[in-house]
Amino acid sequence: MSAPRAARPLPVDDAGRPLFELPDELAIDTDVARRVIAGFIRGQLQQAGFERCVLGLSGGIDSGLVAYLVAEAIGADNLLCVLMPYRTSSPASRGDAETIVADLGCRSELVEITPMVDGYFVEGAGGDRGAEASPLRRGNFMARMRMAVLYDRSVTFGGLVVGTGNKTESLIGYTTLFGDNACAFNPIGDLYKSQVRQMAAAMGVPRQVIAKAPSADLWPDQTDEGEGAFSYPLLDRVLYWRIDRRRSTDELVEMGFDRALVERVERLVATSEFKRQVPPVAKLGPRTAGVDYLYPRRRPGSARP
Amino acid sequence: MLRIALAQIAPRLGALDDNLARHHEILEEARAGGAGLVVFPELGLTGYQLQDLAAEVAMRLDDPRLASLAAATHGLSASVSFVEESGDHRLFIAAALIEDGEIRHVHRKVFLPTYGLFDERRFFAAGDVVRAVPSRLGVGVGIAICEDFWHLQTPQLLALDGAQILLNVSSSPGRDLAARNDVGLGTATSWRTLMRTYAQLTTSFVVFVNRVGVDESVTFWGGSEVIGPSGEPLFSAPFFDEGLFLVDVNLEDVRRERIALPLLRDERLELQARELGRIISERAGLATDSAADAGAEPRLDVAPMAPVPVAGARRLKGMKPRRPMIPPPMRAPGEDGAGGRGADEPIRLRSRHP
Repeated sequence: MSAPRAARPLPVDDAGRPLFELPDELAIDTDVARRVIAGFIRGQLQQAGFERCVLGLSGGIDSGLVAYLVAEAIGADNLLCVLMPYRTSSPASRGDAETIVADLGCRSELVEITPMVDGYFVEGAGGDRGAEASPLRRGNFMARMRMAVLYDRSVTFGGLVVGTGNKTESLIGYTTLFGDNACAFNPIGDLYKSQVRQMAAAMGVPRQVIAKAPSADLWPDQTDEGEGAFSYPLLDRVLYWRIDRRRSTDELVEMGFDRALVERVERLVATSEFKRQVPPVAKLGPRTAGVDYLYPRRRPGSARP
Repeated sequence: MLRIALAQIAPRLGALDDNLARHHEILEEARAGGAGLVVFPELGLTGYQLQDLAAEVAMRLDDPRLASLAAATHGLSASVSFVEESGDHRLFIAAALIEDGEIRHVHRKVFLPTYGLFDERRFFAAGDVVRAVPSRLGVGVGIAICEDFWHLQTPQLLALDGAQILLNVSSSPGRDLAARNDVGLGTATSWRTLMRTYAQLTTSFVVFVNRVGVDESVTFWGGSEVIGPSGEPLFSAPFFDEGLFLVDVNLEDVRRERIALPLLRDERLELQARELGRIISERAGLATDSAADAGAEPRLDVAPMAPVPVAGARRLKGMKPRRPMIPPPMRAPGEDGAGGRGADEPIRLRSRHP
């Protein structure tokens, strides 16, 4: 058998420093991942009877990577990227999204969600205290408005909505239920953030998109790591050893991880379990979807004619 | 010389008629290419992630669609895989050897993985037989399905029963893309280790045919292979690509290898059967478990905790007094009793394998 192949060097910034940190245990074979993901995207579309995809492009690394993956799998002509800024969204993000669209040569549309969001909170529909709604309420509402736009464009463009959430945010529940986690299928949902960065570098996602601090951009100067007080490489490692490699809390502490961090991460995972599952249906009849009526999502006759 | 055709296909889930038509095309293509043996992957006629669809695509062995495939094998041997429904309506994952117009042999998958991403035992019955079958190729053929090869006994039994060509037909989902794997896919690394080992230890040809394509979340990785009886890989198909691959093998290699390395000659079947018989008896509580804790009841290999004495406690009515247990010596050689259990400390449950 051949020896393990040497890891490809990480991309560096102008000063020669790596653009991101990639823990050894998280490094994946990006060539194999590209093959698997491209086949997965084509398979999902074929089984559903679709040829096109729609996704929300924020200018961040997750949706950026998915845009490159979809374009590689089915061609940029078949991809519609929808840019959906709110009035407080970072102009730099929009610029990055436009750079990606230009680089890929895919279709794009700009849909401002400001009137939809402000129409709800400012003009009364958000209830008595709508005007002073918390950033969390507003952020969740924005994510769900974007979902509504994508599913509408799914009809007008005739494409499936592609998910852009990564494994890290899914596991800790850093996602809006029926908002940014709503999709027909997700090609990167089993990649940790560090692996998303590794893939993005391999796919040629613009360097400034890879290097910038990850943010949900739901309010100005929000960053994931600032909000959660963690670093992604560390969080990814805790999740990887705890979940993928089934190490106990005590074993993680023995490996050198901080117990308080590990326990905090475990709480995040446990409290967000509901976000990763289909809602339960009260079992009443002889056969119940998801319980004892178990069919593959796609089978003969299920594809759109 | 035998030309083996590896049909590394991507079956369409639940689309039996489409897959059947594809099998017919491939049989003709393989015949035109001079193949003597054509091997299709596990559930090549139905797709893998069937769940409740299994009953809807199941075929009895007298199904005319199977007969039509068999009829296409005049002058050929082929292994095809499907959901078999028995007369008493059990569903099996099956692979048949069809030759010269007949179904010669049916293997029902014995080991049904029901862990991790697998849920086979929920939907299928497990086969009870591992048997080699003589073939028109002039040598015995042994068929196994995917997980069957994750149990040492399967390739061993097939080889001992006369197989010189071991077929493993699979729907193996690719996973673990860690960069440390030498082919970038943990599943492939494990399978390759197994197949080379089995070929060497059984001094037989191993033919592995794994499907490609996507069912639901999982991607099947292909990488079909032919391994010679010395453990040497003779052919490795690409990962993920569909294709019909023709591989020539010299069946005389089996004789050469078995003369030079008479491992099968030296197997000790009576010893194995005797020891297995003992282990089975011990597990069933019909014999004393030689490896159990002192004081363990028959069939239990761990001795239960001794009751903690409580002053004035009354024995419950009807309960028999427990035999006092004598703890085995805890002293390690060279230690002077340090770390040993104190005389009045309660005995705790101990694992057999610390």
